[in-house]
Amino acid sequence: MSNKKLESDYSRYMDLKEGWVDRRIFWEQEIYEQELEQIFAKAWQFIAHDSMMPNTNDFYTTYMGEDGVIAARQKDGSVKVFLNSCTHRGNKICYADDGNTRNFTCNYHGWAFGTDGELKGLSNEHVYDEGDIDKSKWGLQQARVDSYKGLIFATFDEEAPSLEEFLGDFRWYLDIMLDQDEGGTEFIGGGIKNYVNANWKFGVENFIGDAYHALWTHDSGFKAMNNNEGFPPADPTDSYHASMNGHGWEFGTDGLADIAILGQPKVLEYYEKIRPKMAERLGEMRSKIFGSLASVSLFPNCSFLPGIQTFRVWLPRGPRKFEMRMWTIVNKNMPDEIKQAINIGCMQTFNPAGVLEMDDGENWEGNTTVNKGVVTRKGKLHYGCGINRRIEHEELPGIVYAGQFNDANQRLFYERWADMMNANKWDDVPTRYTPRYAGKKTV
Amino acid sequence: MTNETKSNTGSVASLELINEVQQFLYREARHHDNEEFRDWLDMLTEDIHYWMPYRYQRYRRNEKEPTIMDTAYYNDDMECLVKRIIRTETGTCWSEDPATRSAHVVTNIEVELTENPDEFRVYSLVTVHRNINEDEEHTMLGHRTDLIRRVNGVLKLAKRKIILDQNIFKNKSLNVYL
Repeated sequence: MSNKKLESDYSRYMDLKEGWVDRRIFWEQEIYEQELEQIFAKAWQFIAHDSMMPNTNDFYTTYMGEDGVIAARQKDGSVKVFLNSCTHRGNKICYADDGNTRNFTCNYHGWAFGTDGELKGLSNEHVYDEGDIDKSKWGLQQARVDSYKGLIFATFDEEAPSLEEFLGDFRWYLDIMLDQDEGGTEFIGGGIKNYVNANWKFGVENFIGDAYHALWTHDSGFKAMNNNEGFPPADPTDSYHASMNGHGWEFGTDGLADIAILGQPKVLEYYEKIRPKMAERLGEMRSKIFGSLASVSLFPNCSFLPGIQTFRVWLPRGPRKFEMRMWTIVNKNMPDEIKQAINIGCMQTFNPAGVLEMDDGENWEGNTTVNKGVVTRKGKLHYGCGINRRIEHEELPGIVYAGQFNDANQRLFYERWADMMNANKWDDVPTRYTPRYAGKKTV
Repeated sequence: MTNETKSNTGSVASLELINEVQQFLYREARHHDNEEFRDWLDMLTEDIHYWMPYRYQRYRRNEKEPTIMDTAYYNDDMECLVKRIIRTETGTCWSEDPATRSAHVVTNIEVELTENPDEFRVYSLVTVHRNINEDEEHTMLGHRTDLIRRVNGVLKLAKRKIILDQNIFKNKSLNVYL
């Protein structure tokens, strides 16, 4: 029997009825390469928030999988996303994180591309004879771009469904964060980036549905932010997991717990003031979800905490390393004083120096590095919490489980992961829930 | 830095003052290395602003100074710093047990007099060597600009701005003070 044998059917890396996942998906290079092809070259991914690029020719550089891309604001207000690699010898054409520019000029031979990604000019162009190059054919490869209420997404797959279809009924939940106020949202200036030597999926699955870890991992951080008092005892009443297309939101309905973690009383007061308006806009249920103990991930690699307001992507850097990029998201219409209070509270809890975040990276690195052991990585990991708690809910769309201390969203994330890893084309990727809002507005 | 006190470039800090400031910074480093965080808090003024802004890599023509309204690793007043210390005192701070081993190396200390005879602007470099878990080693380098104030005859840190060298912070956590 070969130790190295890997499965070609990715659904064999888990049994979600028994409730386990194979450790090798967090370690093997070969599986990672397949993730780049099957997930990151195909799925819609979060690129940037509109507010990061307000003006024509503003740009921001990031990655889709390991493909470096530039996002740039066009004259007509739209955004283009294209590869950050010269079509001549391949060098990166932009080395800055963000800025404003008229052209991206390659350092190697001086090929210049517009902010629309088209090849505009060559240095010493006279060394080329007529007919050597048709510049209109040597622009940068463009991604498809669409946005949802301030969040810009892109995919390199022409065959991918529309962004609306990709998000599905998850839009109903996203509106809790993005459309609770008529002014919409914005990011606080700047952002933090750091490396964690862990598999990217550990970050995503933590935010998609791991309320459980908060009680233990974050006891010290929570006490720090809450006058030395710990979390109240785990109470699953009126709390849920909801999953659609691999996206997941776990949440309570008290409207308070996550906002309290900011340690900023005036932010709590502010939300209590605007909550009736929020309820008018989104309905009673969604206004109660906001601010509760909750965490969210969008498939494949974008996460946020509604109430604490940290927003981040987990950029894969090999199977055993990811780059985390994080921001603070606020409502545009908030007074500056409230924005700053959220900024301070969010940063004090969630960044590499944050009193909660500090304890997460340690866990995820441990989860990953132990699999160096060949015996260790042949083992399974338990994902069976709340496996029989599926319910139908009148108001809540998606696949819903009762009780936020549950592995449901994680199981369903890995199910979507396997669906995409196995699919030859998008038609092979099943929709595993019954959409209620297909073709309909969610606010 | 939101540092209203102007430098007094006309006069030079005395050797005595330079020595006093150096000893102050070394003592601070020792408290960090020994996890004597309450002693460290005693070295700060009540109105401390401890600030390590975000870092982005930008083209020279696009460079801009971070403000205190932007994202930051630290943007702390005394209340925020006390909360951080409380975390380490809870007894449930699992990632700090076994303890982090750190060495704060403070160098390139420059002392400038200001218009206020009790306030000094102090530049320094701090290199923190952090060793954690079985064998993990990290080095972090911060360029610091401090405002040090004499309060009732004793030096205290009133403001600190730390600029990190790393564009992408290369560690999972920043659990040491720079």
